Amino acid sequence: MSKTILEVTDLRKHYRQGRGLASMLTGEARVIPAVDGVSFYLRENETVGLVGESGCGKTTIGRTVLRLTDPTGGSIVFDGRDITALSRAELRPLRREMQMIFQDLDAGLNPAMRVRAILREALTVYERPSDAEIASRIRELLEQVNLKESKLANFPAELSGGEKRRVGIARVLAVRPRLIVADEPTSALDISIQAQVVNLLRDLQKHLGLSYLFISHDLPVVELVSEKVAVMYLGRIVEMGLAEDIAHRPRHPYTQILWSSLADKQSTEVSRRTRQETVERERRAWGVFDFEHPAGGCRFAPRCPLYEQKGRPAVCTDPASEPRLRDVGRGHVVACHFA
Amino acid sequence: MDALLAIENLRTYFYSRAKRAFIRSVDGASLSVARGETLGIVGESGSGKTVTALSAAGLVTAAPGVIGGRIELRSNGIARNLLDGLERYVRVEEADGHVVSVEKNEPGWRRRVEALMAGVRGKEIAMIFQNPRAALNPYSTVGSQLVETIRLHTGAKGEREAKERAIHWLERVRIDSPRLRFDNFPFGMSGGMCQRAMIAMALSAEPSLLIADEPTTGLDATIQSRIVELLAELKAETRTATLLISHDISVIQRLSDRVAVMYGGTVVETGGTAEVLAREASERHPYTQALLASIPSAETIRRKSYLQAIEGEVLDTIEVPRGCRFYGRCNRVTEGVRERCAGAEPPLAEIAPGHKVRCWLYPARS
Repeated sequence: MSKTILEVTDLRKHYRQGRGLASMLTGEARVIPAVDGVSFYLRENETVGLVGESGCGKTTIGRTVLRLTDPTGGSIVFDGRDITALSRAELRPLRREMQMIFQDLDAGLNPAMRVRAILREALTVYERPSDAEIASRIRELLEQVNLKESKLANFPAELSGGEKRRVGIARVLAVRPRLIVADEPTSALDISIQAQVVNLLRDLQKHLGLSYLFISHDLPVVELVSEKVAVMYLGRIVEMGLAEDIAHRPRHPYTQILWSSLADKQSTEVSRRTRQETVERERRAWGVFDFEHPAGGCRFAPRCPLYEQKGRPAVCTDPASEPRLRDVGRGHVVACHFA
Repeated sequence: MDALLAIENLRTYFYSRAKRAFIRSVDGASLSVARGETLGIVGESGSGKTVTALSAAGLVTAAPGVIGGRIELRSNGIARNLLDGLERYVRVEEADGHVVSVEKNEPGWRRRVEALMAGVRGKEIAMIFQNPRAALNPYSTVGSQLVETIRLHTGAKGEREAKERAIHWLERVRIDSPRLRFDNFPFGMSGGMCQRAMIAMALSAEPSLLIADEPTTGLDATIQSRIVELLAELKAETRTATLLISHDISVIQRLSDRVAVMYGGTVVETGGTAEVLAREASERHPYTQALLASIPSAETIRRKSYLQAIEGEVLDTIEVPRGCRFYGRCNRVTEGVRERCAGAEPPLAEIAPGHKVRCWLYPARS
């Protein structure tokens, strides 16, 4: 079994939001727990997928794991070394081993630099290679991301979406990372190009032994690329397990809703639900995130169909008994009293 | 077929200052929507889906804009060409697949468009957009925006009657506590809720044609499926003819009766949804086939195999090739047709009743 490259334990990231003048005077601010006690690990040459609705804290986890923002609590161990409290200077040599691919295609591509200069810069951040070495590395990178040599003379604005994505990936590969956090790497691309990029990322993993934390809301793609999938709801992991188990044998009601919404969209049958049923369903589906006053007990209870079905058991809303992740076999963990 | 909207040979061009060239966003597109029917338009970004819809709604403002074609709307027993006489204001010069120059009498063209679209836009043709929050007026409540639409476009002129209708529409789009929501501002509502309000607003004018441009894009997965469900229910209830644009094939599959596939500014295939989008169908445009193959299927996921990507990049419509627009990326060119593929654009030929394909592999059946 390959070794663990990243281990995250009880990670917390709380944002503070001031409330204008009054809060400046009293020092009072509202606290938004974007990530609230998340633990998982990632093995070498493996992909962990992170899914959940917008605002559930997926991206915050990605950024915190790479120490792009400082965690409020918990620990991050990268390659056996606790990096939670490392200073900027101490982090610097580690940065090259942990890279991020951003959702925004233009992120990291200086609009005033040609592709050649962008790659050259990336190659010389940590090393001082000779010109000949740079030239051969650039050729190697182009080959790895399947980009034409003629594009080296282009500015980012002259590239298509797929080409920008390839340059972005080449730039990340230039520093020879071991862990890549890919935050929605395909969502800004067209369908036909998405497939190219997904194939490319999988190829690179195979050849370079990369580990990915793959953040996406595209469930089929996540299922395809990941060994394990973690499902997040309101800053917590509510279910985690092998990709096929999460997709086909989900235990948590939220995971079930998430995957069935995909099937709903595809079904061709016009629903014959009554108005009342629809409104009822709606109310749950619309549940607005309220980080300030998370429901006592299980955070998902206000939207949970199982909670309704069971006749609103008190244990679900008891502030003293928020469900914890428990093992249901094959490394599959679920945070629900009834799943 | 009793077409409500018939678009023929539509051409809408823009000028890109950065590239110093004309972009042929829509370049000879033809399609039609029958009464009570939902036509789905599929295609990648830049294929001309949205610009086709905007042209039909008379909402293209950038120059040179709509420069040719016919958009015929037949409603209430009247047939009118929404582009009638516009060609008098535009002159296009072309050479080698490039548009060299476009001369356009902008003020005259504008006046003519406004005259043609009066009583059509908003009333006959209503539209919902991808970003509902941006399309709603942030300074006014959802209710008052609905009331405004209703008083402008329907027989309900009185304030009270209009308000009752507005609340009725909020209820119809499954917004709960409609009376309370009536006084909400858009910022107090979630994205999905705003999209519902947009849909209510568009339908409250009782339009002949609804244009829905990426109505689910940008919403969360769980909310997306709710909006799709709502659109399916409203479709069954109101039978409003709809032009549905989406790059999400599953949304198109669920809601459309017929499909038009666009590539490089033109329609490359149209037909019944089942014929065009079924994975196992054998006769269809190579682009449609490749597009469907690039979506992860249950089989691909189970085997963890590679996705079948379409090589190359989406066609930029500045330089339109002499032959087929998809030739450069096509993986089904055979020696028998290669010369024709490279040399001439294939016609949109009917290969089976109601199923048209723009490809030299399929000869027209008459």
